[in-house]
Amino acid sequence: MNEYSQLGVRQIHEGLRAGNFSARELAASAFDAIDRLDSQVHAFLELTPELAYEQADAVDAAIAAGEPLGILAGVPIAFKDNMNLEGTHTTCASRMLETYVSPFTATCVAKALDAGSICLGKTNMDEFAFGSSTETSFFGKTHNPWDLDRVPGGSSGGSAAAVAAGMATLSLGSDTGGSIRQPGSFTGTVALKPSYGVVSRYGVVAFGSSLDQVGPFARSVEDAAFALNAISGRDPLDCTSQPRDIDYTANLDAGINGMRIGVVPSLLELDGLTNEVKHAFEQSVAKLEGLGAEIVEVELPNAAAAISAYYVLGPCEAFSNLSRFDSVRYGHHAHGKNLEQRYEDSRAQGFGPEAKRRIMLGAWLLASGVYDEYYIPAQKVRTLITADYTKAFEKVDAIVLPTSPRTAFKFGEVSDPASMYLSDIYTISINIAGNGGMNLPVALGEDSGLPIGLQIVGPQFKDENILRVGAALETLIDIPRVAPLEKGGRS
Amino acid sequence: MTLTEKDVRDIAEYARIGLTDEELSTMTVDLNNIIETLRPITEYELEGVEPTFHPIGSLSNVMREDEVGESFEREVALSNSDSTSEGCFEIPSILGEGGDR
Repeated sequence: MNEYSQLGVRQIHEGLRAGNFSARELAASAFDAIDRLDSQVHAFLELTPELAYEQADAVDAAIAAGEPLGILAGVPIAFKDNMNLEGTHTTCASRMLETYVSPFTATCVAKALDAGSICLGKTNMDEFAFGSSTETSFFGKTHNPWDLDRVPGGSSGGSAAAVAAGMATLSLGSDTGGSIRQPGSFTGTVALKPSYGVVSRYGVVAFGSSLDQVGPFARSVEDAAFALNAISGRDPLDCTSQPRDIDYTANLDAGINGMRIGVVPSLLELDGLTNEVKHAFEQSVAKLEGLGAEIVEVELPNAAAAISAYYVLGPCEAFSNLSRFDSVRYGHHAHGKNLEQRYEDSRAQGFGPEAKRRIMLGAWLLASGVYDEYYIPAQKVRTLITADYTKAFEKVDAIVLPTSPRTAFKFGEVSDPASMYLSDIYTISINIAGNGGMNLPVALGEDSGLPIGLQIVGPQFKDENILRVGAALETLIDIPRVAPLEKGGRS
Repeated sequence: MTLTEKDVRDIAEYARIGLTDEELSTMTVDLNNIIETLRPITEYELEGVEPTFHPIGSLSNVMREDEVGESFEREVALSNSDSTSEGCFEIPSILGEGGDR
């Protein structure tokens, strides 16, 4: 079987046009890779072969009829299991939604499929996206394709692992505090969280509505840009989606000569930043300078406040959003002696421990008296963090940071919830401000041998800057794009 | 601020999550640990700073004509519920102990 699922988007497009393979063969190759690998990785919660072959045959028919071929036509894609796709289960990796079948399709999924991509299935995640390791999934953990004893990061760990292992060419994830970028860093994938509002959130099960954003995983910056082109844009069904008509691939070859790129010295002194990550970061900055960028020191003085602000705002919004799971219209249903008892039993049985913690925390934070002490100050901190970014971006076109302070950790290694929260220390402030950020794999750790990512952050709604910097730096990176799972790699 | 088990029991009731005594005890420890990490938010100097509730500052109401649009057929809307009756969602008694049928 050919390894078509390891090809990039452009190679697939050109191969289909040249008749080197069919879309049906691409789909078959992807499912073959899943058959071989996913028993070890467990990236997928549900496979959709019937849908995939139907879509593939439509692409092949269009080619045979001489119709123009969209760039994503025939590209195997997977969706995080918090994205509704009509007729599939959308479980959010929770017992609460174990039997829920979507009666409708999320806009981001519809757009990706309308562009001709082939749906392989739905991917594993932390329950309701509450986590940084995909260990809280009710349906079992996902393994990191680089080292099966380690987590893939989270919460979009299944989407990251599917692309890293060469099972899917693209996948979509969602990112509320780092849930695309951190698993991107742990699995060596390009992982983009666009600015809030670039991609519609309609049909994506809500966690933190002022923070959630959908974005792609890919094995190259160009592939991520193609995916963003397909899924972005105004959606009448999400009033926060923005009417922006941008070709995100337009300046990928423009280079970065003369661009001003910010570094934040104080954030490189944080406890927990490992030497290998710091070293890889410094080497990346040197490469950016070598490519002609001007490196400028900027300050984000309130970035350290972001973690506590996030763990106030996130649970408050989650508490509100998850109140919809009342066992009446959908979701796990316990029998109770009256309605109140049924609510309590259904939610007690349906939600896992981390979901319960966040709901309870949100309930407390929004209580009278507590609200003024935590929630309002957190929203004021948001003002300061946003102002920091606005000020910094007056001086630079992009900012670079580590994505995660360390490489992928072992299962169970980080068990205390408060410590787990620190793994998002470099990503969270970007959600709070609403800017975009992308993980670019830049090195294998000199101590761990595991992928290390650089995070590139752009001004709000200037996500094209991020992709431009990433594309330039990517030309100097030489690490495998597919994890060496089958080639005598770690296992 | 430290939560007692009684406080956590009250929060669980408000959030409609049933907890066993053992879960209550673990939850109390976990919540207090997390609340401790949130303490910095109560200590910042924020005099005169306005709160920001949303990352997109320029949102305004979007109006449209009030027209009948597409929506789910009744059977689709009911398809994910475990308890329906005569084309409606069915719930147990709100008062008393009528229970599920």
